[in-house]
Amino acid sequence: MSLKHLIYGGWIVGTGLQLALVSILVARRMWRQFPIFTTYSLLCLLQSAIGFSIQGFPQLYLYAYCTFETMSCLLGLGVIYEVFTKLLSAYPALEKLAFRAFQWTIAILLAVSATVVYFHAPVEGNKFVSLYVVLEQATRIAEVGLLVFLFSFSRIFGLHWRQSIFGIALGLGFFATVELIGITMRAAFGIAATPVFNLARALSFDCSLLLWMGYILMPERAASAEIPKRAQLEQWNQAIMELINQ
Amino acid sequence: MMITMIVIALALGALAVLYGAVRRRHQSSLPLRPVDVQALRTLMDRDDELFLREKLPHSRFRRLKRQRILVTMSYVSRISSNSSVVMRLGEAARLNSDDPQVAQAAGQVIELATQIRLQCMVAFAKLAAEFAVPSLQLTPAMLVPRYQTLRENVLRLGALELQGAAPVAVAI
Repeated sequence: MSLKHLIYGGWIVGTGLQLALVSILVARRMWRQFPIFTTYSLLCLLQSAIGFSIQGFPQLYLYAYCTFETMSCLLGLGVIYEVFTKLLSAYPALEKLAFRAFQWTIAILLAVSATVVYFHAPVEGNKFVSLYVVLEQATRIAEVGLLVFLFSFSRIFGLHWRQSIFGIALGLGFFATVELIGITMRAAFGIAATPVFNLARALSFDCSLLLWMGYILMPERAASAEIPKRAQLEQWNQAIMELINQ
Repeated sequence: MMITMIVIALALGALAVLYGAVRRRHQSSLPLRPVDVQALRTLMDRDDELFLREKLPHSRFRRLKRQRILVTMSYVSRISSNSSVVMRLGEAARLNSDDPQVAQAAGQVIELATQIRLQCMVAFAKLAAEFAVPSLQLTPAMLVPRYQTLRENVLRLGALELQGAAPVAVAI
């Protein structure tokens, strides 16, 4: 089986999975809860369907690809914001701090992205493609950076992710990171790296779709805590008191 | 090529963060760790520290203060971890209960636990500074009464017949 067949296979499987995801989102009326993510999923499905039908027209395909990719990158950032607000909705005491930290992270990531664009080596391909590759790389850096911020922030403050929110963030994070590695390789190694990039892209997106569906369909885990025994508590306190009174 | 290497290294770091998040999520339930509030109060007592500073030689005082700081840090770490568990229980209570009283009490518990978690971070920073320079006196005195209030609020949640909240209040 050639690389081309594998890419097509991944594409077809991906389109099927996207259709399944959109059906789940609609059936569960999740557009009410996650309007941006639902729009993002619909756009991805549309992109796959249109891309598949116009693949015989390279020029048209290129422009369609760039248009859809730009929209999905922007919507991806919107999905991160949606996840961020949903995650914080349960913790009003953290909102102010979190929004300030989020704004600072955006500012830092914009600076990093601008640096990458400015110092980037020339990319193989026509001017339009090379510009597009560099801009997409910069956007993916911002996307991945924001998701890392979200996971780190929630770890530091011990925030609890609800199943669906965690799944959306995880799936998007995985896809955006693989995409970032792919587009960076494409920029560094030129057109020769494109088939490998396309395959990695298709497979990572399929994995993300499975993650999204899995976490949306999985029932929420009940919160529980291991409660220590009373004797253990007293023993521990005794040891501390001895240490203090040394 | 340098930028390529940096971007790929950062992306691999991001994958590690995602992997860590998945691992933590699928770990079994978080353990509650007991905290003796009275002992912590003693540790954070500034008069006690002043007394030690006056009575002990400087080098001995520094050594003792660093020991006390390490113990205090372990307490603060426990408080921080317990606050996280309480936040999770509070959120579960708010989501699963139809009783507006329970939802309100759970909301208060979450709010308080979040504030304590924030204060723990500040306390860690201050304790680290005091560890580096033992003559400093930055340790916040607010953490202990807040934690006491959290216990009382968790107990109140238990009184509203939330399953599991009462033993939690005893355990923390």
